[in-house]
Parts: sequence; structure tokens; C-alpha cells
Amino acid sequence: MGKYGTIARLHELLTTRQISCAELAKKYLDAIETDNGRLNAYVKATPETALAAAEKVDAKIAAGRPIAPLEGIPMTLKDNISTAGIETTCCSKILKGYVPIYDATVWSLLKRQNAVLLGKTNMDEFAMGSTCETSRFGGAKNPHDTGRVAGGSSGGVAAAVGGNLAAYGLGSDTGGSIRQPASFCGIVGFKPTYGAVSRYGLVAFASSFDQIGPITQSVEDAALVYDAISAYDEMDSTSSGRKEPALPSLGNDIRGKKIGIAREYFDGVREDVNGAIRKALDVFRSLGAETVELSMPSLKYSLPVYYILACAEASSNLGRYDGIRYGYQTAHYTDRNDMVCKTRSEGFGAEVKRRILLGTYVLSAGYYDAYYKKAQNLRGTIVRAFENAFQKCDLMLAPTVPMTAFASGRTAKDPVETYLTDICTVPVNIAGLPGISVPCGTGADGMPVGLQLIGPKFSEAAVLNAANRYELAARESSFKAVKAGVSL
Amino acid sequence: MVTHEDVLKIANLAKLSVAPEELDGLTKDMNEIIAFADTVSAASADVSDFDNINGLSNVFREDVPVPSYRREDILKNAESSEDGYFLVRRRR
Repeated sequence: MGKYGTIARLHELLTTRQISCAELAKKYLDAIETDNGRLNAYVKATPETALAAAEKVDAKIAAGRPIAPLEGIPMTLKDNISTAGIETTCCSKILKGYVPIYDATVWSLLKRQNAVLLGKTNMDEFAMGSTCETSRFGGAKNPHDTGRVAGGSSGGVAAAVGGNLAAYGLGSDTGGSIRQPASFCGIVGFKPTYGAVSRYGLVAFASSFDQIGPITQSVEDAALVYDAISAYDEMDSTSSGRKEPALPSLGNDIRGKKIGIAREYFDGVREDVNGAIRKALDVFRSLGAETVELSMPSLKYSLPVYYILACAEASSNLGRYDGIRYGYQTAHYTDRNDMVCKTRSEGFGAEVKRRILLGTYVLSAGYYDAYYKKAQNLRGTIVRAFENAFQKCDLMLAPTVPMTAFASGRTAKDPVETYLTDICTVPVNIAGLPGISVPCGTGADGMPVGLQLIGPKFSEAAVLNAANRYELAARESSFKAVKAGVSL
Repeated sequence: MVTHEDVLKIANLAKLSVAPEELDGLTKDMNEIIAFADTVSAASADVSDFDNINGLSNVFREDVPVPSYRREDILKNAESSEDGYFLVRRRR
């Protein structure tokens, strides 16, 4: 299938001793040295951490002890996932030099499995963006065409995994930030149900939308990583504790499953993208699935509802950056208020400031009812629309993004136009549902297209199984290989 | 219509200072974003008792002290500290 760096394949190389774990880690670290200048995927490499974990795994293998599927697998974390002792900045000047004193729960879970952390990856500042270009370090580039964006906000993870500079990575998805870059980079991105994966240690953007999930080269890998990171966590009061492992469900028949197609998802979708999605639907039909046409008129409010609520939550969450306890502090000030204002104005980039201002505006007296409260009510309407839709179907299928990856440099020109990129991804976050993006061929420009599968809450196993069935049935036609990074 | 004064008022609430040369651009951006957000005010929502979309309830534990992070570790990330406290100078 051309997917030479999947977790299962690397695990096999390790257990059959075709390569040592340290050698494998070095291969990836060397590839980062060579190719990161071109892709700008990593903002920090962590070779000591990687090699220390690799040595532990090699010792286990040498002693003839079995290793778990994720042990020794080279991976990466988005720069908003806290790593004790390793700088975590959300690619923002305001967190420059911030070194967490604790691990995010997802990272401690993977660490226990001796995951080999290669480094922290690029992202839009505080995950606010759809191109990765609001990063303090400049945007990550698309491994399929470095003149184009990798997408965002988890653009660095997607560029790293898509460019074979990591076997997998964890990103965060507030309005599409895992699925959209995965779609742009031709790989798999999975956003679990809200509450399925602990957010402890994820730097908060919009707390009722944020969710951590895997970005991988295959659906099977996504299931493997999802199973490893979904666990009840008392440190996250929204942690659900509901857990059905996904991996054992892979391979289940999807004959007779009803796949809902809501026409609103296809408004404004580029014709070649639409064509790739329709072809994918034929594959689902050939697997015995049935399609059901749906109408969900309230989806047209998704984008403004998302931007109003996410910015409101962000304006509150980002209130903590005052220059006192961590991160950047302005050099000169006249009093404490001046210190806080200058620190924030110098530390936050333009897009973050725009969103804090919008959030503050919609929460301020006189506008709260018209915007914030109205958006909350519409959020309820959208939640109900999905509940009704899932009375009529088992899963829904939609494009992940209405277009393919576009040329770099667009964010700065038109913020609102860039927001439109998220039109097919935000509904899932509004309703707290699981959603996955799987490669489904290429557009007229030769760039990858992603299809999105959406399920009811906590239907991870069903979503991943259907995606896996599709991926295996579509084979090479869905997947475009990249010549970059590690080849084994 | 968002005016320069509105932007300055909101910026003050958000503890952001807006440089004079940023004001025009920011006001224009804010107007575009607000116009985009305005589509919701015209919409009719069928839910009015909406408060918890994720269906979660509060999680409590017994109020007993548990070990936490060490003070000196927490203070390591501060710009300045003194005698175990965060230090904020009057001016700098």
C-alpha cells in the first residue's frame, strides 16, 4: 500500500529484530535534520528523550521480553500538549521559555508504553487557525507540495506524519484542527467524542470544544493510538470513563449499515473534491452499506456559532497570560495594568488578538444575548439535528474540507475567508461527536482529498471500523505516497 | 457597526493595548467578523433551556489534602520571584 511507516510495520521490524529501536529513532531524527528545513513540521526536536526511551525498549527486546504495539514507535506531540521538562509554547511568543512541570495525561499514558518522542510540532498560535501560518515559527509546509500549507491548526503533526518524519502524532481538534490538516496532507486524522480522551495538560483554547486525538498513516494505527490514550482521568472533570476499545472491532462487516448524506455538507464543495467523495461512496455501497439522504438546515449556522462560542471561551481561557506566573513579560512598564496590557499585546499574535477581541465583544454587556446566548441556543439546535439524523442512519459521510490544500500566505489577507475552510469540520465539535478524516484520492490539482465519517457520541469503534473497511477496499486509489523523510 | 471607540473599549476589557497604527485594520477586521457572526441573530433557535451540550455532570471528590507540585518548581517559570512568592515590580 506504500504505507511503509505504519505502526504495525515498525512494530514488526522491531520484534523481528530487523532494526533496533535506537537505530529506528536515529533514522527519524536524521530525517528530521535533513527534511525539517523544507517542511517546518517540528519546532523542537527532543533527541535525548527519544533515545532514552529507545534504549529501554532495546533492553527489553534483548532480554527476550515482549513489547507492546506502541513501544519504541517514533512519534510526535503538538506543541500545546504539556511535556514535563520540555518547552511547550503553543507556538506563541507569550509562552516562550515555558517548561511544564507536569505531563499531559495523554503523554504520560504513552510514556508508560515507552513511546519515542522525536519532538514537538508546529501549530497555529494557540491552535487558532486553519493553515498553521499563525505560528510564531511560520507555517508547516505540505509534504505533497511545499508551496502549499499543511493545514491547521495541527499542521506540524500532519506534515511530520505525512512527510514520514514520525510514525504518528497527537494533535488537538477544536474546530477541525486534526481532521483538516490530515485531509490536506493525505493521512488519517481522528477526533474522538468530547470526553473520551483526557484534556489534562492540553493548553486550553475553547474548553467545551477541544479534544485530543491521533494523526496517523492508517486507520488501524488511529485505532491503536486511540485505545492507548482513551482512559478515565480524574484530573479532567469532563473525562467520561466510557470506553469501548476500537481495535477489536476492525474487520467487522458494514453490510446493511446506513450512511447518511446531509446535502448541506456539500454546499460550496469544489467539484473535484465532490467527485472524489462520490467515488468513495461507491466503495461504501460495494461493501454493502446503504446511503440515506438527509437534510440538516441548521448546519448553515455552524461556522458563526463555532466562532462566537470558541472565541468567547478563548477570551476567558487566555485571560491567564498576564506575564507574572509563566512565559513572556514585557521589558518596560509604568504600572501593573500597563505590564499586563503590554505583555499581552507584545506576546499574542494578530489572529489570537482578533479572537480575544471578538470573544470579549460577544460576552460584553449589550451583546451577550444577541451573540453568545443566541449561539448557545443554536448549538443546542445543531446537537438535536445530529440526534435526529442518527435516528435515520448509523454514520454520516461528508467531505473533510471543501477544497484541497491551498497556496501558502493566505491567512494574513482575509481572516473570514480562511474561517470558511472549517465549514465541514466544526459541526462535529459543536455536537461533541467523533469524526475521522481518511484519504480518498486526489483533486484536479493532484493534492489529497479527505472524506469525513461522523458517528454518534462514543461510537468510536463503529467510525474507525467503517473507515478501515473503506481504506482497505479503496487501497492505492485512495492514498498518495510522499517522497520525504524515513523510508524503510 | 463597530467603531474605533468600541475596539478600544473591548481591548481595554481584554487587557490588550492597541497601537494607533493598528486601529484601522483591527476595526475593519472586527466589522467583517461581526457581520459574519450576525447571521446568528437572525436565526430562530428551537432550544431555550440550553446549558450543557456535552451531557456532563459535576465531578466531586472528598475535600482532603493531596500532594501537589513543589513551590520552587512552580516558581521556575516566573519572570521573577522572591521568598517563595511571585514578584511583580511596581514599574520597570
